[in-house]
Order: sequence, then C-alpha cells, then structure tokens
Amino acid sequence: MHRRMVRLSFVYACLCAGPITLRAQQFKLFDRTVQVHGFFSQGFIYTSGNNWLTMNTLSGSAAFTDFGVNMSSQVTDKLRIGAQGYDRNLGQLGQYHPSLDWALADYRFKTWFGVRGGKVKTTLGLFNDTQDLDFLRVFALLPQSVYPTDLRDASIAHLGGDIYGRISLRHRLGDLSYTAYAGHRSDSIYSGYPYYFSSFGAHITSFGGLQYGADLRWSTPLKGLLLGASRLDEDITGKGLAPNLLDPAAGLVPYSEASKADWTNQVYAEYTVGRLRIDSEYRRYWRNEELAGGTSESLADVRGWYFSGAYRICKRLQIGSYYSRYTIHDVVSGALAALYPPATDTSLPANHDYDKVITARVDLNKFWNVKIEAHFMNGYGSGPYPNGFYTQVNPQGFQPNTNALVLKTSLNF
Amino acid sequence: MKSRTLLLVAAGLMPFASAYAPARDVKVIANSSVKTDSISAAELKRVFLEQNNSLEDGSHVEPVLEKDGPVHEAFLQDYLGKTDDDLQTYYRALVFTGRGSMPKQLNSDAEVVAYVARTRGALGYVSTAATADGVKTLAVVHPGNFAQRTLLTTVEPEYPETLKQLGIGGTVRLHLIIAPRGNVEGVEVLGGNPILAESAATAAKRWIYSPTHSRSTLDVTIPFDPH
Repeated sequence: MHRRMVRLSFVYACLCAGPITLRAQQFKLFDRTVQVHGFFSQGFIYTSGNNWLTMNTLSGSAAFTDFGVNMSSQVTDKLRIGAQGYDRNLGQLGQYHPSLDWALADYRFKTWFGVRGGKVKTTLGLFNDTQDLDFLRVFALLPQSVYPTDLRDASIAHLGGDIYGRISLRHRLGDLSYTAYAGHRSDSIYSGYPYYFSSFGAHITSFGGLQYGADLRWSTPLKGLLLGASRLDEDITGKGLAPNLLDPAAGLVPYSEASKADWTNQVYAEYTVGRLRIDSEYRRYWRNEELAGGTSESLADVRGWYFSGAYRICKRLQIGSYYSRYTIHDVVSGALAALYPPATDTSLPANHDYDKVITARVDLNKFWNVKIEAHFMNGYGSGPYPNGFYTQVNPQGFQPNTNALVLKTSLNF
Repeated sequence: MKSRTLLLVAAGLMPFASAYAPARDVKVIANSSVKTDSISAAELKRVFLEQNNSLEDGSHVEPVLEKDGPVHEAFLQDYLGKTDDDLQTYYRALVFTGRGSMPKQLNSDAEVVAYVARTRGALGYVSTAATADGVKTLAVVHPGNFAQRTLLTTVEPEYPETLKQLGIGGTVRLHLIIAPRGNVEGVEVLGGNPILAESAATAAKRWIYSPTHSRSTLDVTIPFDPH
C-alpha cells in the first residue's frame, strides 16, 4: 500500500512538474550548453485469458511504469557527449532498479564517417533503440513478435563502440546510412530471461557477452520509403545456481549456459505519405545454446513479423493498427531432453502468438499523450524462450486466447 | 511616368505573386562565419535533420528553427518534407538515444535573426519580408536531374529600385540549364514576381558553375529582400 502511494505521488509530481521542467531544459557549464531531457510513462493493462508481461493483468495492473532523464552537450563542432539514466517497473521486471541506459561520446569526422563509444544503444531494425520511447509513436506496445518488451535487455545497448555514417548515392538514388558496432551486452537480473529461469527455482547471477552487428538502411528515391536490414551476432554466457533437475535431492548446483550460435537477422520497410505511416519488419532469431554446463543443448528458431499502419486524423488524434505474428521452434537435446518435449508444431498455441491490435492516441499537448489500445491474441508462445507469458504468473495453466486492454500516458520534455 | 507604369504593373501582378508566395515566402539565413553564399536543398535538409553539422566548404553549422507559424510550416513542407509533429518526433528520437540534440527553436523572425547573427555557424530561416541585419542570406539550389554542380561565379541580380522602395520583395524560382563547361545556357522562370524574376534570370545567365561531362539542370531559389 505504502509503495503504491509513493508511486502515485511520484506520478502526480511528474504530471505537475512536467510543464515546469519543459521550460528549464538547458543550462551552461564551462561555457557549453547542456541540454536536459526526460520522459515518464505510466500504463495499465487488463486482460482476459492469461496474465501478461509478468503482471497480474487478469485483475488489472498498473505495474507498468518507466522513466528516464538524460543530459547531453555539444562540446566541440564534432564532439558530443551525453548520458541517460533509465528505470522501469513492469510487473516482476525492472522493479525500479535504475540502469545507465546510454552514456557516450560521439565524434563525427564527416557526414559519411563518425564514431561513438561508451554504452551505446544498439541499432537493430526500425525501433530497437527507441523501443522504450512510446511517445514517439502511436502504439502503446510495439509488436511483441519483434520487440518483446520483457526481453528488452537482450538487445537494447552494448558497452563498446559504433561507426556510422551516411552516404548520398549518385544519380539521385537516395541515401545509404550504415552502422556497425561491437561491444558487451549485460542483462539485468531483473529482466525477462532470468525471470523465466526463476520458474525452475534457478537464480541467474550474470547474463551477457559479446555482441556485434551492423545495420544498413536505404532512403530510396521514392519519397517516404525506407528499406533496411540488420544483423546481430552474440556470444552470451549465463551463470547462476539451479536445481539439479535430474537429481532434485542434490539442491542448487552451479549452472551455466553459453552460446554456440546466436544471431538475429532483421529486414524492414517504412513508408510515410502525408498523414499515413506504414511499417513492416521481419526478424529471425537463431539461438543455439549449451545448457547446464554443456550437458544439454537447445536449438531455438524464433521468427516474428508484423505489419502496421498509423494515421493522423487531426493534430491531436492518431489511430493505428497492426498484425503481429510470432512463432518458436525449439528442440532440446542431451540430458535435459526428457524434461523439455520438442516444440516443433508452430500451429499450437504454446508455440506461437498472433496479435491483432487497434489503438488510438490523443495528444493533450506537445509533451503529453494518452493512448488506448486493444490486443486480441491467439497463443502464448511460452516455449523454452519466453515471449510475454510466464508460468509463474499463470500457475493455473495457459488459455489459448488472451484479450488485452492497454491504457498508457506518457510525458516528455 | 515610367516608374508609375512600373508601379501599376507591379501592383497588377501582386495578386499573382502573393498567391504563389505563402508556401515559398521563406529565406534561408546564416551567420557570417558560414562561407558559402548558396546551399543545395539536399544539404539544407541534412543540416536540419542533424545528419550534417558542416557544409561542403567546411563551415560548421547548426540549425535554428522557429517554433511555429506559417514560415515554419512552409519551410518544413518545402525543404524537409515533414510536418512539425513528425519533425519533433524525429528530434526526440535523436535526443533520447544519444544521437543528437534538440535544436534551438525560437518564437519569431526577429529572434531567429538575432540568434543567427550572434551564433557562429547558425543557419535559420525567416520570412522573406523580415529584416536580416547582421546575417547573410543564402540562395537555395535545388538539384536537377543530373549531378550536383558547384557555383563558381555569381552575379547579384539587380533589385528594381521602385519595387525596393515600395517594399515589394519575395522569392523567385528559376530552372537553369547548365552547359557541360559550366555556363548557364537556359533559364526558365518557375515562380515569383515577374519583374524580380526577369532581373534574377538576367543575372543567372551570367553565373558560372563547375564543369562536368554532361549538361545539368538546377532549380534555384533567389530571395529579394526589400529591407
């Protein structure tokens, strides 16, 4: 009760402070202008069928809060520095443990070549780096088939560096933008995968590793049309304690898992014309892991795609809709094979999640919006790699269909 | 008598000029530290989308915007192809991912001119009618259907004294055909006050561009500021 009061007070304070801070967003330091920006969002989800996103949504849950604050400064003509702190509470995830979202130095030598280093948001598809910023789009939740919010940590940022640039093509063929990166990914222990593991009584203490990849996007000569492709490779190691599932009497024993092959391919298209915006993406995630210290192996083939449209009816009102499709094909071999039956039939609700969504967004002013969104889901895709539905919050078992009502408001300055 | 005739002609043509003017009644201004006198529409767009922070001549630039109003809307529509809502969303995506800063956004032409005048590298836009003391006005070059050309020699168009005294200004859009060796061999008026357009066309015929292996076309916007 006390925690809820504190949270509501915080929300109220943010709502009141919003208009004030809008005017106080920069100051001078060592004769350089420092900009300060922030955002805050609060959501509520009510579902039928299953609890979703680790929240108790069957009863209605407002454990859907996030916020961030950043500071940045253009130090010289070519050098910019900045950092952003981020915090969230999404059901059982995040739990208000703050994190450094990004902190970087960016040096742009030329339009066609720049470098940035530090903790950097990972460029992957259209929205990976902006997935927390729901005020940038009409939807309250991005298509979970491609951007699962419970697995945000899996791709959100890396500690390392990027090279990037933009090249204008000859003969009016448009522009090419590229980003290539390498670094270390580190998941919070309050993120989706460790939470998934806790369903077995396991405790993940560290999860992360090398991450490298590239993105290439083409602003085509057709005005408003962007095409792109991304590739992400990872070498992940997870460590912790887990029950010996083959010998429960042994209690908790050291557990480890490691990537054998872990990659993501993503292709995407965006088209904007007038008040209409259309997006579509396809992601394939291939995850071959050695489990339980190499005694077992998991081979997961996760595929997701969506098609979305958004239309601005007037300055204050936008509507949108998308269809999102997620499937998982997973086979475990080795010592744990007996405990994990193969998930190979993607027509089963356990191995897919098809989501039809309609939404409306009202902009109360330039900095504050309210959204209402409905999801009609078939399947719960709760295989050996999670996707929004967890057994811990669905101890009664899963229903094949889930409908969800999402309300969300967000502020930014 | 002659000037009176000119005045009548100008007055008679004003309805046509003003019908054209609202969407194009914008001039691009820059701080005196910016070396160039002209900027391509493509480069202007890249500057305002924070994809470039320096021009081809090496000048550092930073964009300055108006917060709202018809000049702002016209500039976004003509040069960026975005609505204000789209542009603000674009800037916020940069700001919250560490990939850019929120550009300076000011309330009026006067504020923009004052800021651009005192800020190294500042590049903004104001109404054509706005007083632009202390800043330079850049000609905006719209690339045609061939390779981009660099303007080597410019001849300032003559501003008809009568129109200037009457405070009649605006922008003129010309379509240039440039020979391989760089001379302007053809000029077509696309819009603007006809008297100003004639003056602009006469001057443009004497411009010299960098040579290339083939003929090029360019659309050029030339502002006439009566102040």
